[in-house]
Amino acid sequence: MIEICDLSKSFKGRNGELAVLQNINLEIKNGEFLCIVGPSGCGKTTLMNIIAGLDLATSGKVLHKGKLIEGISPERLVIFQDLGLFPWLTVQKNVEFGLKLKKLSPKERQEIALEYLDMVNLIHFKDAYIHELSGGMKQRVALARALAINPEILLMDEPFAALDAQTRDMLHMELQKIWAKTKKTIIFVTHNVREAVCLGDRVIVFSSLPAVIKSSFAVNLERPRRIEDYGLMEIVRQILAELQFEIQKVFEEEFDAKENN
Amino acid sequence: MQKKIIRQIIFYFFLLILWEALVLLKLWPEYVFPSPLKVFATLISGLSDSSFLIAIGISLKRIFIGYGISIVLGGMMGMLMCKYKLVNDTLGGLVLGLQTLPSICWLPLALLWFGLNEKAIIFVVIMGALFSITIAFDSGIRNVPRLYIKAGKNMGARNMTLFWEVMLPAALPVIIPGLKQGWAFAWRSLMAGELLFVSMGLGYLLMMGRELNDMSQVIAVMLSIALISILVDKLVFGQIERNMRRKWGTEISI
Repeated sequence: MIEICDLSKSFKGRNGELAVLQNINLEIKNGEFLCIVGPSGCGKTTLMNIIAGLDLATSGKVLHKGKLIEGISPERLVIFQDLGLFPWLTVQKNVEFGLKLKKLSPKERQEIALEYLDMVNLIHFKDAYIHELSGGMKQRVALARALAINPEILLMDEPFAALDAQTRDMLHMELQKIWAKTKKTIIFVTHNVREAVCLGDRVIVFSSLPAVIKSSFAVNLERPRRIEDYGLMEIVRQILAELQFEIQKVFEEEFDAKENN
Repeated sequence: MQKKIIRQIIFYFFLLILWEALVLLKLWPEYVFPSPLKVFATLISGLSDSSFLIAIGISLKRIFIGYGISIVLGGMMGMLMCKYKLVNDTLGGLVLGLQTLPSICWLPLALLWFGLNEKAIIFVVIMGALFSITIAFDSGIRNVPRLYIKAGKNMGARNMTLFWEVMLPAALPVIIPGLKQGWAFAWRSLMAGELLFVSMGLGYLLMMGRELNDMSQVIAVMLSIALISILVDKLVFGQIERNMRRKWGTEISI
C-alpha cells in the first residue's frame, strides 16, 4: 500500500519557484490499478518519480508499506516512456538483468525470463536485439523485464503514447490480462482519458499547474475492457467535463492521436 | 563482398605490375629501387631465418605491454574525470593539452629517466595511447543516456555493478573507436621510438636496412609493419565493431 500525505513539490527555475504539485493526498491499495490523467506538463510524471524514489518531495511524505520512501528500489519498478531497454543485450538478457542483480543462478534466471517472455508472447524473439523489434514488442519486453523482477508496484509513465492505435489496443488487452494474473499494484500515468478509463479501477484527475487532485472516479466495469466499449463513454464524458479548462488541450491530443491512426 | 575482393586483388596486382615495369625501365639503380620479387625474397628469407619473426615478436610484446597499461590507466583516469569534477577541471585540461604533444617528444625524457632500455620505449608507447584512451572513456561514460542509468538503478544496480553492467557497455560505442585510435598512436610511437635508438624490434630492423644500404630490407620491413597494423585493425577492431553494430543496430548500408 502506498500512502501519499500532503505532498508538495516545486522546482527552482530561472523565474523563481514553480509549484508543480500541491497538497496531494492519495492512498493506493495493494493490487489496485490506478490511472492518473491530466493535461500534459501537469506534474503526473513528477508524482511518479517521487513514488519511484527518483525525485524528492519538497514537503509532505510518501509511505510504502508504512515506511518512508528513501531512494529508488526494485520494489517499485518504473516503465519509462522511452523504456530504457539495453541495446547491447538480447531480449532474454534484458529480462534477466534484474535477476542477475538479485544473484540468481543462470538456470533460474533463464527459467523466469522465459516464463515472462512467454507471458508477453515474445518467446520466439528471445535472442533478438532491441533494435530488431517493433514499438509494441519493445513495450512487451519492458513489461516482461519489469515483471521478472517481481516488484510490488509497477509505475507506468505514458508507456503507450508513441504507439499506433492497433498496437495500443492489443497492449491494453494484454496488460489487463497480465494484471489479473500477477495481481500487481499498477500506477499508470496517461493524458489519454479513454485509455485511463479502459485500464483503471480508479482514475484520478489532476488539474493544471500547480496540480491538485480535482476528482477521483471509480470504474466498476467488467474486464477485460476495450477502449471502444460503450460503457466507458459515460465515465469518459464525466472526466472530460471535470477537466474543463484543460479540455481544449486534451481534445487536441485526442485529435492528434486519431489523426495518427 | 566477392566483387570487392576481386577488385582489390586486381588493384594490388596492377600496382605490382606498375612497380615491376618501373624497375624494368631502369630509371634508378637497383639498390635504390629494388624489384618486387627481390623484396619478396628478402621478406621470405627474413621470415625463414627468423630475424623478422624475432623483431616482430619483440615489437608486439612492447606494444601489448604499453597498450595494455594505457587501457588500464586511461580507463581509470577517464572514470575519475567523470566522477569527480575536481579531477575533470584539473587533470581533464592537462590531458587535452598533452594529447597535442607528439608522443615521440617524450623519448628524450624517457631516456634520461629510464636509460636506454625497454622501460623507456614502453613509456613512449604508453604516452602515445594514454590520452586518446582517457578522452574516449571520459566522453563515452559522460554521454551515457540518463535513462539507462535510471533503469539500471531502478532494477537494483548500484556503484560498481551499475558501472560494469550499465555504464561501461552503454559507453562502448564511444570507447571502442577511442581504443582503436589509441592502438594506432601506440604503434606509431613504438616505431618512432625503435627507429631512434638501437632496440631490436621492427624499427631497428628498418634502420639496419638503411645502414646496410639494403633497400629491399627497408621495403620488406615497411610492408611487415603496415601488414601487422592492417591485420590488427581488421581482425581485432573490425570484429569488435561489427559485433557492436549488429547489437545496437547502427550498421550503415548505403
